[in-house]
Amino acid sequence: MGATLRALRALVLIAGFHLLGLVLLCALGAVDWAAYRWAPAGWALKFYVVSFLLAVPVVRGMLLLRTPRDEEVAGIPVTDADEPRLWAAVRELAERVGTRGPDEIRLTADMNAAVTEEARLLGLIGGTRRLYLGLPLVAGLSDAQLRAVLAHELGHYGNSDTRLTGITERCRVHVARTVDRFEEKSGQTIAKERARQERKSAKRVAKGKSAREVDTTGVGFTYRAMARIYTAYGRFCMRATQSGSRRQELAADLGAARIAGRDATASALRALPVLDSAHEFYLSSYATLGVEFGMLPPRGEVFGGVRRLLDARAEELAGLWEALPDEPASPYDSHPPTAERVAVLEALTDDGRGAEEARPAFGLFTSPEAVLIDVEEATLAPEALLMRRLDWPDLVHEAMTARYVQDAEPVREALGPAAADAEPAALLRDFLDAVDAGTAWDVVGRLPRSDEAAAATGRAAREFARSSLRRELARLTTAVLAADGRARWQLSWSDPASLHLPDGYAAALPAALDAAITDRPDTEPLRKLLAG
Amino acid sequence: MIILLWVVLTPLALGLLAIGLRLLNAVVRGYIEGSRADPHAARAAARVAALSLLDAERQHTELAAPLPPAVAVALAAAPAGDWEPAADLLDATAAARDWERRTFLCEQLADLAADDDTWLRAWEESRPGDPGAALVRARGTVFLAWKVRGAKRAAATTEEQFEGFHRTLTRSREEHLRAVALAPVDDPSPYVGEIWTAIGLGLPHDEMRRLWREITDRAPHHYEATFSALQYWCGKWCGSAESARAFAVRAAAGAPPGSLMTAFPLIAHYEHDESDSTDVDRTPEMFAAVDAALADVAAADPGHPRLAEVRHLLAYYLYLQNRWDEALEQFRLLDGYVGAVPWRYKGDPAAEFCRMRDESARYATPGAREAS
Repeated sequence: MGATLRALRALVLIAGFHLLGLVLLCALGAVDWAAYRWAPAGWALKFYVVSFLLAVPVVRGMLLLRTPRDEEVAGIPVTDADEPRLWAAVRELAERVGTRGPDEIRLTADMNAAVTEEARLLGLIGGTRRLYLGLPLVAGLSDAQLRAVLAHELGHYGNSDTRLTGITERCRVHVARTVDRFEEKSGQTIAKERARQERKSAKRVAKGKSAREVDTTGVGFTYRAMARIYTAYGRFCMRATQSGSRRQELAADLGAARIAGRDATASALRALPVLDSAHEFYLSSYATLGVEFGMLPPRGEVFGGVRRLLDARAEELAGLWEALPDEPASPYDSHPPTAERVAVLEALTDDGRGAEEARPAFGLFTSPEAVLIDVEEATLAPEALLMRRLDWPDLVHEAMTARYVQDAEPVREALGPAAADAEPAALLRDFLDAVDAGTAWDVVGRLPRSDEAAAATGRAAREFARSSLRRELARLTTAVLAADGRARWQLSWSDPASLHLPDGYAAALPAALDAAITDRPDTEPLRKLLAG
Repeated sequence: MIILLWVVLTPLALGLLAIGLRLLNAVVRGYIEGSRADPHAARAAARVAALSLLDAERQHTELAAPLPPAVAVALAAAPAGDWEPAADLLDATAAARDWERRTFLCEQLADLAADDDTWLRAWEESRPGDPGAALVRARGTVFLAWKVRGAKRAAATTEEQFEGFHRTLTRSREEHLRAVALAPVDDPSPYVGEIWTAIGLGLPHDEMRRLWREITDRAPHHYEATFSALQYWCGKWCGSAESARAFAVRAAAGAPPGSLMTAFPLIAHYEHDESDSTDVDRTPEMFAAVDAALADVAAADPGHPRLAEVRHLLAYYLYLQNRWDEALEQFRLLDGYVGAVPWRYKGDPAAEFCRMRDESARYATPGAREAS
């Protein structure tokens, strides 16, 4: 399909969006007219109000003639003076792709890179172009791979006719925004209804009647129904333009391969999904390990630390490169499946550039550490910026210790009010006293249980209680030993954190725990270890 | 006003329409079923009814056959605190050197002790060093371990269940040693329980071979010992399909008729049968294996405590081999009790038993049925 036809189709689609709005407005008007004619005045008034409320998002959707401005992605702009090498590389890439370079480069904290343009007048006139570059992505790629990714992104702007895809894009954005607005409204309505019912319910309780279940089904239905109409239209738009956008992706890939080399482009494509999941894992298991307890890694490490993880797990990750998703992420994804893209690239003849030395992409920056700190300060929430900063090994030790102390909360509650403010060590002493007194089984009985434990009867139930007792004793003992520094949580970038116990404890602790959980418990060995 | 009329009338009209459609549907279905009714099927159903077989709800799912009255009395008395009849019965088996009955009784008592061992503690306290109590104690701990684990496959078993399972089984090892030390020198019973500890803890093959030597030195063709050892060698526990088959064939090969050892090639086959069709159950080898088991059962002591278990297996394979008359004969002897392999492995043992039983009855020749 030629560029003209594509543009025409896009225009038809966006016209359809407005037509849909008009039809809906007409339908609402018809309902109002019918209400005016036949319904009693009270009902009619209700109809007018409802249809007016529904009409507002429709009209607002239609009036948004401009593509909405980019959602402000948190990030810091860098100037030519800040990062001359990066700017030079991007300009060179743009030139070789045959398009205008970006007007702004913004560094972000995402595992992503994107080029956007605020096109005007139906996309016929170009506007401000921005390159969003995620530092974690830079951390995970080689120089050549990053060039491939950027060349691909710039490649979308390579031919002026592709700017007309702005129209398609606008259609999608319009529909998405209108749907969002309806869903937001229906959410608000449900929340209001819930609050109303809860107030009512509270009154009933105050009067000594039983509370009624809060029921919000059906409320917000009208909004959701409208959203559904727009969603259906949005899907239609996506389907209609999908094959075109997938072809463009492949064209952009080929362009990138020409500029950055076949192997770098293919390996970047292979690496992206793996990097994405590695980054998510890094954020949840390392960077935010201590956030609950008000701790963060040192400045510049919150997003920069992913480099350590990628280095330590390089082999494991390289193994994951082989498995490529061969299905698109969703039926409406504008990208072809990664496997297909890689296959197309790897079928190209070898350009001999695979042998080039791989330099880290951070080499494009004057001072990677400085930009990492800047991005951190620009993207972290204000309360996060106030958190305590610890070196990685300390962070892991402190956060794990705090977690273990926190996980002992159920035991504290089960031990009763006397243990309410006890330090971990005192809490453990109380617990061991309960074991000696034979009341520990009652304490364990008050802890949350698994389904299997709850279903067990007779001696099996006692065995589950024994498991629970051992688990809690072990947890609390670990917490106490770690809190006073005798045991230490060890950071590892390739494995989960491990507990380093003082000499002799690793052998003596299991036996001491076993002695404390028998039917005739002996807590002495455990008390000795704790005192030792 | 007109709109109100519509609002009221429309649901009424729709409701009436729905009721009408349901009626029509019922009429049409009844007609189809009526025209399908087969006079042969009706006659077969009448024949099945004439055999006065029990419904699925009336099948005992815990036992393979009725218990001997004395055992039933002892098992009922023990949880109530009266452990002496059980102790006496167990002593009698040792005196008679009847190891089949000893392990059978031990298994039943251990099952009780796994729920509540108050009576067993009383027994241990009043007769310290009693070999029977030590035997039941060790086996009871093994049963307890399996109760903690649950009967699901490893993937559906939680870490907590495994932890409790291993801890409890580890405790049973000392108890087995004590039971061995107290048992009569020629009693293989404590080693039978130990096999289950070996299975649960995945103890090495050499340990299993040692246990097996201890057992066969004392009782070369013990049913429960062989059954347990076969489980160890099965693919789902510590062995493989090949090791299980080899073990079962070896057990059956040298055994005298009536020892019921011919059941094990069938069990080894059943444990590793993954196929969807019954072709694998109708090979010449399988026909021969079933024939051998039939001869073994015929030669066995009618009071053998495991005889019914072998009959259950035979009923199943005779059914699969379309040997309706012979299958029905077994089913009629077993009816009322379904607590055995293969039914025990099914989701609804009683229903499965009854389905195969009734089908056998339907196709069996009336004359052969009378002969049984």
